[in-house]
Amino acid sequence: MTKAEQAVAGIVAAVAIALLLAMLGGVLSPTYFLFLFGLGGMYALMSLGLNAQWGFTGLINFSVAAFFGLGAYGAAIMTASNSPLAGGFNPIFGLALALALAAVVAVAIGIPTLRLRADYLAIATLGLAEVIRMVILNEGDYTAGSQGLRGIPSFFEGWPILSAFPETMPGLEIEIIPGQAVVLGTSFWRQLLNVSLMLAFLGTAFFVLRRAHRAPWGRVLRTIRSDEDLAKALGKNTYWYKMQAFVLGSLIMALAGVFYAHLNLFVNPGDLDPITTFYVWVAVMLGGAGSNRGALLGGFVVVAIREGPRFVGDVPVFALDPGPLRLLLIGLLIVLVMRFRPQGVLPPQRELIWPTAIDDDNRTTPKMGVREAKTDGEMQGSTDVSTEQSGGGDSDE
Amino acid sequence: MAVTEQFLELAANGVVYSSIIVLCSIGLSLIYSISGFANFAHGDTMTVGAYATLVAFGAIGGIGFSVLSLPLGFFLAVVIGIAITAVVALVTERIVYKPLQIGSLGLLITSIGIAFIYRALIQVGFSAGTYRYELEALRPIDALVQYGIRVTEHDVAIVISTIVLVVGLHILLQHTDLGRKMRATADNPDLARASGIRTRNVELWTWTIGAGLAGAGGAFLGLFNQLVPRMGFNELLIIFAAVILGGIGSVYGAMLGGFLIGMIVEMTPILSTVGIPIGSEYGAAIAFVIMVLVLLVRPEGIAGQAVGGEGG
Repeated sequence: MTKAEQAVAGIVAAVAIALLLAMLGGVLSPTYFLFLFGLGGMYALMSLGLNAQWGFTGLINFSVAAFFGLGAYGAAIMTASNSPLAGGFNPIFGLALALALAAVVAVAIGIPTLRLRADYLAIATLGLAEVIRMVILNEGDYTAGSQGLRGIPSFFEGWPILSAFPETMPGLEIEIIPGQAVVLGTSFWRQLLNVSLMLAFLGTAFFVLRRAHRAPWGRVLRTIRSDEDLAKALGKNTYWYKMQAFVLGSLIMALAGVFYAHLNLFVNPGDLDPITTFYVWVAVMLGGAGSNRGALLGGFVVVAIREGPRFVGDVPVFALDPGPLRLLLIGLLIVLVMRFRPQGVLPPQRELIWPTAIDDDNRTTPKMGVREAKTDGEMQGSTDVSTEQSGGGDSDE
Repeated sequence: MAVTEQFLELAANGVVYSSIIVLCSIGLSLIYSISGFANFAHGDTMTVGAYATLVAFGAIGGIGFSVLSLPLGFFLAVVIGIAITAVVALVTERIVYKPLQIGSLGLLITSIGIAFIYRALIQVGFSAGTYRYELEALRPIDALVQYGIRVTEHDVAIVISTIVLVVGLHILLQHTDLGRKMRATADNPDLARASGIRTRNVELWTWTIGAGLAGAGGAFLGLFNQLVPRMGFNELLIIFAAVILGGIGSVYGAMLGGFLIGMIVEMTPILSTVGIPIGSEYGAAIAFVIMVLVLLVRPEGIAGQAVGGEGG
């Protein structure tokens, strides 16, 4: 393990122990913890999706929130009780619609934009994401507009055993510290089901991406990221590969949206706010572009930033509203990561092809090595010259 | 002729809104031409200008005689607001962007962080609520209402101030030493440096002017609508659309693009009147779609690339 990995492992372990103690001590309710853990997994899922686009392929996609929203709305339109189109279906159909919607829109956005230069792609995708948000906000006949879709069932509604699982499980009472019993009731089991759904999504996405990253397919993507002309020269249809990565990432983001719809049981157009996009970007940059482990880590850190300000509100030093504090922390985190660790906390190991897109200059691996060798050589050269010129003189020996 | 009347009214409003977009687009384009990255903090720089003007106007008060129902104190406050915005941008450039050793994409992402920091600090200082300048609300100018045009004297003041600033910038770019240096540096920084231009100074001046114009745009946007912490961020994509339509990096293109995009956004309601079923709520969406189309068909925009690319 590298130093960074050891540090991260240590911090993760410390945080896990602290959370466990907080739960046993009755400070943090286990149900709420599971809810937060679910949110963390949701961001981690979106980060994995963005990682496939930005980390693997170098596509600057600023429409994460739109695909998340499409996933959530796809699930909600099929299942919500006030859905103007088709409410009350089994959530499986919602999942199918969400994925289909995301795939179609990803292709539709990808066809024009994936030919664009990197910074233009960023602006174009952000603009199109806003267009999607406006359509969802204003086409109330299909989406119920600004009032949102409510009455979404839990994902396992209508499944054989699982739909009744929270009710059939006995309420547990755990008393470690006398007088402070931790009660695990129906809502706990419901959240546990949600979290297991999230883990299923997350696990699937993680292993698919890990497999893809190691396969020849992933190597082509990384070649595109670091030098698209090179990939073209090798006979690869880079546009087609970029499209595949874009759609794959978008599907994973839509999965996060489906999970969110069944976690929150309510969606509205505010869920497509571009801030979500930037949260996910922070997660990926913090973890390290191209690193799936980093994306997982980043997702949970982002939820800590998003939800943390609620708890520190009582401490006088942080006597700020949660809203601005959250924004300030995200902003500072972006600036600090870009300043001090642009490759992220857990950059991918054993990479043969390094990205040139984001950190041209301060990469500590091959590129820099070549430059150091070059400067060394020059210095060597100049010393040689001076020795020759001094010609055995005694002054500089 | 209901359509004509609506057209006139929307066009008049469009001119006012366009003025604001033009100011901000020029700033964004200038900064792009010198620093080489798309500055996502530009929208929130506008917000800084608006709130700085609010504070300055609160301190100065409505002193002096009034021009177009705006006391002299307000214009003074706008100038102070512009100055504060420029200082904020310069400090940011010095302590954040300059030390970064990453490519233009890294700078782009960093500027998103800066945008959030600006907005968070404004929310901390002024809460998330809305503000207005301490000016009495005006009725539309009576002489124009008969033609269906509903603009206030404040709106006229915005347009005239914009024209003054734009003409001033044109003179600066074309007829002063600094302007020539700016154009030279934008065109080819290495050559400019080799010719003895202190490009670092030029760069700082460009940031000053670009952020100052954004500050002015923000101050006027606050007069046109009201002040909220998201006001600038909400316009950011519109400004990008304007800059890209005009040709990113080109000052004169940004003027044209800003005018066109501002008009398009404000004129959208005319579509449903003439029978095209696109509601006024899609004004911004149309601008974004135009932006993507321009990127596809003519990524260099209407006016080509650098500051010195035309007219000089």
